[in-house]
Amino acid sequence: MNPSDTFAVSEEVVARRLGEEIVLLDLSSGVYFGLDAVGARVWELLSEKPRSLAQLAEHVEAEFSAPRATIEEDLRDLARVLRERDLIIIRPA
Amino acid sequence: MGSESSAADGGEPAGEPHVPEHRVCEPRKQVAIVQDPYDRWTSPNGTCVAEFYRDEDGFRLRFPHQADFLLKPNATPGKFAISAYPVPDCPPPSVQTLLANAIQPLIGNYTGGLFLHGSAVAITGEDGETIGATAFLGLSRGGKTTLAGAFAKAGHPFLTEDVIDLRLDRSRYVVQPKASKLRLFEDSARHLIGDDTRFPDANAKRDVEGGNAIPFAAQPVPLTRIFVLGTDRTAPLSIELLPPSAALSALLPHAFVLDVEDKPRLAGHFSRIADLIDAVGCHILDYPRTYDELPRVIETIIASITPT
Repeated sequence: MNPSDTFAVSEEVVARRLGEEIVLLDLSSGVYFGLDAVGARVWELLSEKPRSLAQLAEHVEAEFSAPRATIEEDLRDLARVLRERDLIIIRPA
Repeated sequence: MGSESSAADGGEPAGEPHVPEHRVCEPRKQVAIVQDPYDRWTSPNGTCVAEFYRDEDGFRLRFPHQADFLLKPNATPGKFAISAYPVPDCPPPSVQTLLANAIQPLIGNYTGGLFLHGSAVAITGEDGETIGATAFLGLSRGGKTTLAGAFAKAGHPFLTEDVIDLRLDRSRYVVQPKASKLRLFEDSARHLIGDDTRFPDANAKRDVEGGNAIPFAAQPVPLTRIFVLGTDRTAPLSIELLPPSAALSALLPHAFVLDVEDKPRLAGHFSRIADLIDAVGCHILDYPRTYDELPRVIETIIASITPT
């Protein structure tokens, strides 16, 4: 993953908000995945349009109280996990 | 291909097995099917319970050593012409049981309904008023029928023992009563209806009709609680509310999906299950699978449901 890469939600995934969480279902594999409050917000942002990690970090920093470095590290981890499960796709810059 | 019998859905009184319209054809052996199944149900011990094949514009469902079912879409959207092909010597109740406990819920969910694999009971208060329905979802041989029977024996009639048919009524989920029978092994039947109960084959389930000992609830009851039975049969008694994502993961394996490759329908099904969790929630229930423990399990569940 490069800093300038953008991420988009997979068209094979349906999402459903339940309380603070969002649950994802990959229609191709039948795999479910749950996102916590921050992950759910990230998913909503990506559902609006593809975004880079930096763009996501700006939104998360504005909405959740956490150090920028921690946010960026958590976002990289989340993006990696979602990518490994084919829930998001990477669009190289 | 002869037609030996037929039955129609709709209009059956509560307590009778609910089976969709179908025809039962001449018995025939199950010969190997050339194509690979697109889906398969397996029991917890790995035995194949059912195989799903495509057949022209419909489906062929094979229940090994019992029957094949051919589902052909007919002119009415969401309706299928169902032909049953029992194997030679397949007893007629097997076909009826498969129709009620597999074919009907599969088609029901395919056409926008909400059917889950589990049992349900009508919880009754001390004043005799029905408080609401409680559902128990679990794997085959996980204890859900015995638990429903134990609740019935304790004065909380059972609504269904294998398939939970949920209908939305004024934004409430309502459990429909199904057959007034429990399919039990001999030891469970002895516990529920008397020590003198004997089955010809102690290792095979038999239908036990509801009655005074294990009453049946013949009227629909609004659903108030869902429990998924934990798989550790020795775990201590505990009840835990699942967070939504875990609840969805817990419930979806107990749903009936006819076509796992039909993405629009799969998405719709996912949405209906999510709506159910949003409205009712979902708990996981662990308890030791011993008959002595059942009164304490019932007492704990009732205490968790009854308003204080």
